[in-house]
Amino acid sequence: MLTYVLSRIKSSIVVLFVVSVITFFVLMIIPGNPAQLILGTDATAEMVADLTESMGLNKPLYQQYLGWLLDLLKLDMGTSYVYGEEVTRLIIRSIPVTISISIFAMAIAVFIAFIFGTIAAIKKNSIIDYFSRSIMQLGVAIPSFWIGMVFIVYFGMKLRIFPVSGYVPINENFLNSLKSIILPSVVLAIGELGTLLRIVRSSMLDSLKQDYMDMAKVKGLSAGKIYIKYALRGALTAPLTIIGMQFAKLAGGTVVVETIFALPGLGRLVLTAVEHRDIILLQGLVMFITASVIFITLIVDILIMFINPRIKSFQQGEL
Amino acid sequence: MNETVLVKNLHIKAGKNTLVSKTSLTIKKGEIFGLVGESGSGKTITAKAIIDLLPEGLTYTADEIITAGKNILTASREEKKEHIGKNIGYIPQNTVFYLHPMIKIKNQIGDGYMYHMKKTKKEALKRAESLLIKVGFKSPKTVLNYYPWQLSGGMRQRCNIAMALMNDPKLIIADEPSTALDTTVQKQVMELFKTINKSLGISMLLISHDLGLIKHYCHSIGVMYAGQIIESGSREELFNNPKHPYTQLLMKIVPSLSIKKNEPLTEIPGYVPEKGRDSRGCLFVKRCPKAMEVCSQTVEEHEEKGHYYRCNL
Repeated sequence: MLTYVLSRIKSSIVVLFVVSVITFFVLMIIPGNPAQLILGTDATAEMVADLTESMGLNKPLYQQYLGWLLDLLKLDMGTSYVYGEEVTRLIIRSIPVTISISIFAMAIAVFIAFIFGTIAAIKKNSIIDYFSRSIMQLGVAIPSFWIGMVFIVYFGMKLRIFPVSGYVPINENFLNSLKSIILPSVVLAIGELGTLLRIVRSSMLDSLKQDYMDMAKVKGLSAGKIYIKYALRGALTAPLTIIGMQFAKLAGGTVVVETIFALPGLGRLVLTAVEHRDIILLQGLVMFITASVIFITLIVDILIMFINPRIKSFQQGEL
Repeated sequence: MNETVLVKNLHIKAGKNTLVSKTSLTIKKGEIFGLVGESGSGKTITAKAIIDLLPEGLTYTADEIITAGKNILTASREEKKEHIGKNIGYIPQNTVFYLHPMIKIKNQIGDGYMYHMKKTKKEALKRAESLLIKVGFKSPKTVLNYYPWQLSGGMRQRCNIAMALMNDPKLIIADEPSTALDTTVQKQVMELFKTINKSLGISMLLISHDLGLIKHYCHSIGVMYAGQIIESGSREELFNNPKHPYTQLLMKIVPSLSIKKNEPLTEIPGYVPEKGRDSRGCLFVKRCPKAMEVCSQTVEEHEEKGHYYRCNL
């Protein structure tokens, strides 16, 4: 168990290192001098040269990289020129927004996907099965910006139940905070629901065909025991992996939804950084998002190990 | 009531295709009944029909199915489930996936017992331990803490047997219980069945394609061919006085140790028919050395002193 986690952490460090190399060099190769970008077109050549000097942009690339990497290890990712603030602080400020809508969205998607996916598999070809299959299609087919706008028009402007845009921090007013994240979360959930529902349904169908289900039926157990303890237990691995991937994707920034609902989250930060060629901010964001995706995947893999203990033994070479 | 199982005129169909037809069998209290036949002869689905476990798409009809004193045909779904879970133990052929691979033995061995007998988990584990000792485990507590995949095939099968015994069933259905095991373990398992049958008086339906094994352990035998029991009776009667040509041929096939060098092994040419199992005539007619013209039209059923066979001879 511990050896597995340690080996995973080791490989994560390698991945992070490779990503740091790629991020740094790719962004540095992009034409345009960052100093010129910061100062704007009105700046004199002298001013640009000065800033280039002070930012260390005239040093060889590998030295610049090493300097950046060392700062990164000290959690210093430099200063964003668009915001004029430290990248670390910008990220820390944006996390709560993105994480809360991601968690809320996944909670909604998981809840609906498990209920409908399980019932759809048990009652294959019933009305519920057809209904959930249409949800799958709709969720995948409808673009989230469109649903987002429909929600804003209907719930925000017509019914006036939810705010049209903006984010209220949780420590300010809990109810208003909840209201401000419900619509974006639902929009995100609809986007992820289709895939998850499909995976739950097909894993469940597969589990229902297994021999242990025959045994559970012969034992004459209650339906709850048969379907939840035996069937669902055997069907958890694949959905959990997908949930982890989806959550990691959302936590890395939900650009479209954050833009539509004007939420100051990571996605907005990424968009601003790209729009304004804020290379320092962008580098920091890419590193942070990569690290969080790796971290979430690691957590999910450990969870799966608890659900499917055979993996533990495979890792330890017992089998 | 002297019978544990009474099946009359069982038909199993997959859509329009008949798989099992006109099958009747009786298992007396306390006896081991062996159901023998080639692969695809319908042994397993006959057993599965009795415990209401037919795969999706298969349907059955019968004049009568009584197990452990209850008429399954007139019972409601709930009653049926309850009755089978309480009174019938099922031991499967393949040992690998019949125990849930992600659940420890202790968390799955007793749930039927807890549910039907209204027992606590503690009581269930206590009973499981004593049964695991009975099926030959030295340290049942360790076994209970294992996942199924941490056990060998023979150990898993013994866990299955212990699990089947939890409710003190009236009947145990064992579907080729020893096929997946090697010969020494096979012997252990079969001896265990014999002991269970003798000491607890539990009736058994033993399915196998191994005539030698059936002969050794069963009190009564049914020979199945193409979805029909073509001959059945007590072991002595069947082996000393086989009536049906198929049974006679089967008995010749069982290789004996007295076989001479270079003597070819006998075989029955041809295959078990998949189609036309709803024919009125004899289904063995195409492979039968003694076939007559009438055989493909009709077939006579005989029954004398418990020895049943369907043949025109």
